[in-house]
Amino acid sequence: MATSGWFLTLTLALVSVLPLCVAFSAESPTDRRILVLVDDLSIRSSHSIFFDSLKSRGFDLDFKLADDKRLALQRYGKYLYDGLILFSPSIKSFGGSLNTAAVLDFVDSGHDLILSADETASDLIRDIAIECGIDFDEDQSSVVIDHISYAVSEKEGDHTLIASDDFIRSDVILGEKKIEAPVLFRGIGHSLNAANSLVLKVLSASPSAYSANPNSELSSPPSLTGTAISLVSVVQARNNARIVISGSLDLFSNRYEKSGNEQFVTELSKWVFHERGHLKAVNVKHNKAGEKAEPAMYRINDDLEYSVEIYEWSGTSWKPYVADDVQVQFYMMSPYVLRTLSHDQKGRYSTSFKVPDVYGVFQFKVEYQKLGYTSLSLSKQIPVRPYKHNEYERFIKAAYPYYGASFSMHHLSVPQIAGQSSIYLLSSDRTNFLWNFDFEKQISEL
Amino acid sequence: MVKSSGSDDARALIRSLRVAYSATPTTLKIIDLYVCFAVLTALIQAVYMGMVGSFPFNSFLSGELSCIGTAVLAVCLRIQVNKENKEFKDLPLERAFADFVLCNLVLHLVIMNFLG
Repeated sequence: MATSGWFLTLTLALVSVLPLCVAFSAESPTDRRILVLVDDLSIRSSHSIFFDSLKSRGFDLDFKLADDKRLALQRYGKYLYDGLILFSPSIKSFGGSLNTAAVLDFVDSGHDLILSADETASDLIRDIAIECGIDFDEDQSSVVIDHISYAVSEKEGDHTLIASDDFIRSDVILGEKKIEAPVLFRGIGHSLNAANSLVLKVLSASPSAYSANPNSELSSPPSLTGTAISLVSVVQARNNARIVISGSLDLFSNRYEKSGNEQFVTELSKWVFHERGHLKAVNVKHNKAGEKAEPAMYRINDDLEYSVEIYEWSGTSWKPYVADDVQVQFYMMSPYVLRTLSHDQKGRYSTSFKVPDVYGVFQFKVEYQKLGYTSLSLSKQIPVRPYKHNEYERFIKAAYPYYGASFSMHHLSVPQIAGQSSIYLLSSDRTNFLWNFDFEKQISEL
Repeated sequence: MVKSSGSDDARALIRSLRVAYSATPTTLKIIDLYVCFAVLTALIQAVYMGMVGSFPFNSFLSGELSCIGTAVLAVCLRIQVNKENKEFKDLPLERAFADFVLCNLVLHLVIMNFLG
């Protein structure tokens, strides 16, 4: 009886805690529930290394055929998933309520996406990529060919399985450990939309690569050549939603042993599902130098201290974020003060500065945008007042001559007035008005 | 030739000025002395400001303007009380003097407030 009571409590506790810990949240920003859409369920086995690595890191994968009639990303206005993996390059149209707009809405509401195309990529997949700032080669039959850096195999192939090690130099996107072996890639190339500043090339082709149909003669110069071809690209949207777009589905498969693929896709998936590079800023504090409490207002020329704590999500816990390039602005229409914050290695960033000699409504602003990291945008409003009338410095030594001069002018005019008046008025033969001034007479005359 | 005649002219001019000035009434001479003192104080302050810098600028301005203002008011008084000046012959002496006193009070009220 007692045991069953315990069991019930435990189950209730688990049930009540479970929805909190499995979903993406501000406190635990890693995605947990992921929908994987596939053309063919055999991808589960052919790409098992990639999926197993996700599962072992605690992700809850939900495999569905892309044309499943009951597909839905949200129910009753709430998203059922935190991330979406589209491993269905040839799908013409999704089943259920899913379409391009639904996928883009999913991303617009801050969720993450891995999209993988290959030479069979449908217009639907291409459209989603275009919306993300990525243009796959328009020629449907072309693939990336490289006659110099290709994977050597027993039979002389058409050099469409290319090897590339031209990675983006970013520890946050690809992990601190260097990817030793080149990545093997068989698929289509894409170019980045120049108007989109959020999209980044993560893996680009070698200078000798080009995008063409391997089975036909090259009649005209290929439209995409060299390092302009991106093989894998990422996007971090302004709402910190992350997207990975690859021109090859095989990139994620188990097929290429002895290549950098496994490490590459694992590290990339850590980034895209917010296991790395997700920052949070807490405990924004400011105070007058030497004081503890946060004032409601500063005075011009006050000395102040500002501090903020920044942590990076490591997938399981918040670790102090260490960087030397976090800056704070003291901002009113434009930054009056711009300071680089110094840190104590434990995530606390601080600086001190003097309030400028300008009063008005200022803001403390931290606008931190670093490649691969989620952007931080903090602002805290604070008014700055001028000196009160009794706060000005009085009796300044350097001003004594001026005081003397104006007092001498003022006080000299008194004896001067007295002297002049006596000289004028006493010596004057007219009315001696100073000595015999008759108010009553004057008033009655008026 | 020209030069010597020029200096002679200047000397003659100064002499005639001095003769003419000695005929000025004592009361006007006192006012002149007062104006000279005020202008001199203003000059000294300007030189001082050039040396130590313009830091309490409001104090400098009030010291300077106090002197210049006083000098201007005294010149106005001198114009009005000069018997030779026919323009103000209808203006009573008391009225001119009262103007001077009142303006001085207003000027120095402002100066005191601006002095810092």
